[in-house]
Amino acid sequence: MNPILRLDGICKNFGGVVAAKDITFSVYPGRVHGLIGPNGAGKSTLMNIISGIYTPDKGQIYFDEKEITKVPDYKRARMGIGRTFQTPRFLQRSNIRDNLLLGADLGNQIGYLEGYFGKKSANFDGDLAELMEIAHFSFDWEDDISALPFGQRKLLEIVRSLLAKPRVMLVDEPAAGLNSKEIEYAMDLLNMAAEKRGIGIILIEHSMDMIMDICKEIVVINFGCVIANGTPEEIASDELVIEAYLGRQEDD
Amino acid sequence: MKKKLNLGKKPPLSAIALFAAYALFVALVPRFFSGGYIIMVINLALIYSIVAYGISIMLGMGGHLLFSGIAFMGGGAFFIANLCSKRFDINMPTWAALLLLIPVFAVIAFILGLVLLKLSGTYFTFSTIALVQVCFTIYNNYKPLFGGPDGIAGVPTLKLFGYSFSSYTAWFYFLAALVLAVALLVERLRRTQLGRSLASVRDNETAAKTLGVNVYMTKVIAFTIAGVLAALAGGLYCLHSKYVSADMFTYNNATQYIIMAMLGGVNSSAGIFVGSLLVAVLPEILRSFERYFQLFWGVSIVLLMVFMPTGLAGLFQRLTRRLTHRFAGKKERGGKAA
Repeated sequence: MNPILRLDGICKNFGGVVAAKDITFSVYPGRVHGLIGPNGAGKSTLMNIISGIYTPDKGQIYFDEKEITKVPDYKRARMGIGRTFQTPRFLQRSNIRDNLLLGADLGNQIGYLEGYFGKKSANFDGDLAELMEIAHFSFDWEDDISALPFGQRKLLEIVRSLLAKPRVMLVDEPAAGLNSKEIEYAMDLLNMAAEKRGIGIILIEHSMDMIMDICKEIVVINFGCVIANGTPEEIASDELVIEAYLGRQEDD
Repeated sequence: MKKKLNLGKKPPLSAIALFAAYALFVALVPRFFSGGYIIMVINLALIYSIVAYGISIMLGMGGHLLFSGIAFMGGGAFFIANLCSKRFDINMPTWAALLLLIPVFAVIAFILGLVLLKLSGTYFTFSTIALVQVCFTIYNNYKPLFGGPDGIAGVPTLKLFGYSFSSYTAWFYFLAALVLAVALLVERLRRTQLGRSLASVRDNETAAKTLGVNVYMTKVIAFTIAGVLAALAGGLYCLHSKYVSADMFTYNNATQYIIMAMLGGVNSSAGIFVGSLLVAVLPEILRSFERYFQLFWGVSIVLLMVFMPTGLAGLFQRLTRRLTHRFAGKKERGGKAA
């Protein structure tokens, strides 16, 4: 199976701070890849490099075997790199419908003119009903996005990202701030995305339960370097990982 | 989970009420003011509202304040004046000149947008003020094209399908239909991709980018539409007044259009209409206070932005919401967990 996304020797420095150093790994369709590491390890920087907000100093990014290192962020989104944020990013002054339609617009892949004069604009293709069933809540269309509690907003951001029919999804700490039920629904959404829709997912998460539960593969980074890459079992017993998380035991 | 997942359209009741109110307006105005000075003022208000609709696309949907409307308005007005008044042995039919104006100013606005929108936020706003000043200086000083301080007189009135708009009442019906068309086009824009993309540019550029929105180009397109609408309004102004001169297109006058867009509610098509009407007609009623109007407009912009960013329409919406809450009990939500 060919990887859908491949990072090859990605380096990024901010001034003297090394945020990414020679990072190489691949993401496969239909698989959830965990991306873990201590705070400040460079996880979010890597997300920003993949989605095109930062350009790497060195290294290449390949999407579906095509190099996209120089492709601007919005074009990467159109190619199928979806993303959610640690704190959900919605249009605060628009209602829920418009917020979700933005996702559907991207999924429908039609231009402004076609959207203006055609009928296909504002179409969820029944996709939304299916997703909301997994997310286990509903809402009033006309409400502002702020009418939803934080947890539901986070779930809704995953839903919006899925409405855009991505092929790779970058999911940044979906469980933070969610209650246990909501975490379960978030995992259902991600599992469905990977298994049923064949989306390759990169998941940043501090909840080890979640990571161990749904990831087929885990990449551990620390100080901008990949220190381990393997199945959850391999990672759990990896010396370097334990050291990074628990600290080195001094023995003489 | 039961009901709300089809694409719920807004209850059409309010839309029907708005159309009815507009029909009433169109029916009543000529009856009371026919042939008078007031109907001319109302005609001008209708023309100005087209500029305000353009501003609302950039300001309301895109969140970018711009003053350049008046510069484009001047451009459109002088364009028509030069093509239709036999100044250069050109005597184009007025309707043809108006049609030609649209693509010409689309190109001009697009190119200017490409340049100005390299700046963002306040810097962009300042650059549009500069554009207004530059254009005014050119309009006021380059006599061959713009007539200098004397302006250009002798512009014919609009002639459409052989019908010449010689009375203000005839103009009123024409403008009322045109403004309705513009309002509907803008409303459609709000509800399709471009409107949503603009809203995402306004509220969260990072989210916009990750949702595939080309932020820069989206802004340029909105700027172009706003420019074309303003130029069209300028052309109509010129034909309606049969005269145009530069002193109409100063920065001082530009603020008036921002108020028009904001007073009624910058994201409400009906609000913009009401706002334009109020701002244009009010000074005529309060003629004796004319010297204080600049002060009044300035203070109102600040107050509107701070206390009433959604304008009269937002105020109205909040009031009706509060009333329905009081009388019908709390509106039922879509239900929490299924």
